[in-house]
Amino acid sequence: MALQGRSSVRNLVGVVLALMAAALVLASCGGGGSSGGSEGGAAEAKTLQSSEAKPTGQVTWCIGKDTSGAFKTAVEKFNSENPGAEAKLLELPESADLQREQQIQRLRAESNECDVLGMDVTWAPEYAASGWLYDVTPSVEKLEGEFIPSTVETTEYEGKNWGIPFNTNAGFLYYRTNEVPKAPTTWEQVYKEAQQKNGLVYQGERYEGLTCVFLELLYSAGGHVLSEDGETVEIDSPLTTETLEFMRGGIEDGAVPKSVTTYEEESSRRAFEAGNATFMRNWPYAYALGKESGIANEFAITKFPGFKGNPGAGVIGGYNLGISAFTDNPKGSLAFAEFLVTEPVQKEMFLKATLPATVTAVYKDPEVKKEIPFTEELLKAVEQAQARPLSPVYQEITEAIYDNTFEVLNGRESPKGATSKMGSEIETALERF
Amino acid sequence: MEARAERLPSHGKRRSVFREERRLGAAMVVPSLAVIALVAAYPICYAIWLSLNEYSVITPGLSRFVGFDNYTQALGSSEFWEAMKTTLLFTAISVSLELVIGLGMAMVMHRAFRGRALLRAVVLVPWAILTVVTAITWRTIFEPELGFVNTVLTKLGLPGGDVVWLGQEGYALAVMIFADVWKTAPFMALLLLAGLQGIPEDLYDAAKVDGATAWQRFRRVTLPLLRPAIAIALIFRTLDALRIFDLPYVLTKGANGTETLSLLAQKELVVNRNTGLGSALAVLTFITVMTVSFLYIRFVGGNIRALTEEEE
Repeated sequence: MALQGRSSVRNLVGVVLALMAAALVLASCGGGGSSGGSEGGAAEAKTLQSSEAKPTGQVTWCIGKDTSGAFKTAVEKFNSENPGAEAKLLELPESADLQREQQIQRLRAESNECDVLGMDVTWAPEYAASGWLYDVTPSVEKLEGEFIPSTVETTEYEGKNWGIPFNTNAGFLYYRTNEVPKAPTTWEQVYKEAQQKNGLVYQGERYEGLTCVFLELLYSAGGHVLSEDGETVEIDSPLTTETLEFMRGGIEDGAVPKSVTTYEEESSRRAFEAGNATFMRNWPYAYALGKESGIANEFAITKFPGFKGNPGAGVIGGYNLGISAFTDNPKGSLAFAEFLVTEPVQKEMFLKATLPATVTAVYKDPEVKKEIPFTEELLKAVEQAQARPLSPVYQEITEAIYDNTFEVLNGRESPKGATSKMGSEIETALERF
Repeated sequence: MEARAERLPSHGKRRSVFREERRLGAAMVVPSLAVIALVAAYPICYAIWLSLNEYSVITPGLSRFVGFDNYTQALGSSEFWEAMKTTLLFTAISVSLELVIGLGMAMVMHRAFRGRALLRAVVLVPWAILTVVTAITWRTIFEPELGFVNTVLTKLGLPGGDVVWLGQEGYALAVMIFADVWKTAPFMALLLLAGLQGIPEDLYDAAKVDGATAWQRFRRVTLPLLRPAIAIALIFRTLDALRIFDLPYVLTKGANGTETLSLLAQKELVVNRNTGLGSALAVLTFITVMTVSFLYIRFVGGNIRALTEEEE
């Protein structure tokens, strides 16, 4: 009896443990996915000729959540204009990381569920290298004159275009007009005035946002992450160290509050709107919200100032449209993607969803100018913006950048040490085969 | 339990009945063992296999066998040991606090008083809320400057009003532990309450007659009889805590000394698509969890054994 009692309790515990262990392993496998997929390589990517675009058949558009309803409107418009075609919207999660996860799961399984992919501007090289996309160079070349040139850059990998620029984005410098009458023209001045007044807030948490903040300064200083061909690491340079020293200096002398290391877009916006900062680096979305806040009449925006004697530069955001290599309907997909970058659709996206157009003409539209007061500033900001490193291992590159920048902001790593760590970590990432 | 009835018949007969029962028992267990093999053993073996290879990001489907390279890389990285330290520290502190607080809550809820049912329901609310929602709530509460905590501390003139809670090593982990305790102490309380209700009132009455004080009754009656419940609750919570993912993912994204083993494995597996290294990290996490479980069965389980023997 004693023996039985003991073993039954132990068995129960054992079974519970076994089940929990199983759940753990299952969870990790589920996340990692199997390496299913075809043998062979990325080499034989198929090219879609622009003339092949034909609005027929079924097309599923897989893109992030349609929070404004503008995507659905566009799909309906396409369907009513093209009776032979049937486009459908498949909404992915709101966060870009989860969208990528969802798309990759499908692409790895060679699923034909998604025809047109809404890809963040940093994903095209990874997808292209994996052989998951149609080469759409002819279409991009045909439409090239219509796009803001910097937006096309994000679709490039190994000399070809792997997506059609759908919407764009670039950061702004927000400033309180009652504290600073005129926008400073250099970052050095911004930091100086911030120190004298009420500080500068930006996205300093350990995530993609910090990569953007850092690269904006590095690019303005004239620095690079990778060489033109993406093969060699160039970040390990004195310019990087100087940029990091500048950022660390801002925190040390109080120009930037220590709390930025916990800020992402929304928390920095709240701090700015609460009057806790004179300057803020943020995306355009904060403008409309700011106009509804307590500081509605006391702030303005401007494109990024210069740095180290060079003109300002930003990093480009937004989405590109890729055609999945596993689609059953490449022609219809291309027709739909091209439809999404026609002027009326781009205008609608801009007005209804505040997704900045990639098509230059939209910025000259009187209605757009009236509805979105910062149109002109935004066009300038996008024009001066550069792409983040175009590489299939972008995730590891950005991680090396934000991890090490974050350590510098927290004073746990010297700018010099962080620079060489960024270099060696990116080097390792590029060695992935 | 039925064994008691079988004590009466002769020795030989009892043996054969016992053997038959065992055979029947084994046959009945086979289907569940098969299911476990399918859903547990296969993925475990597959994960181990994945961890011995390196997978191409550039060319899907391409991989090469690298033996224990991924393990060498993982065990040689400071990131892994940092994560291990964080995970063990988090587990030790949060589970201890949960046990103490949960036990207190269970004792209160066990008493008969008006509104007891309502209290029991209310206490469970934190447990019922999704961890991610909890994490977002605490994140907002601990936001620097504008957050509830800093505002209150500043208004009251107390120190700490300018602390960047989630932005500093130590503080960030403390917030994470706090949020975890807040959320799961009720779960602990619920398990312990069930244990408390299984203790017969007669024992307390007898203890009282013998002149035991309240503390003695707690030490000599409640605690020993509650041990099996405590053991189960501890095992559940410890294994959960060792695999913590959602809380640090939302609170800090693993920054400032809050990167746990699961967070690290997820980053390599899902974000960086480093399937080999990520699987190695998952296997190492698995081994850690199994080791701790083994220690529990060995030591806390020993208590269960001692207890059941005493009961005889």
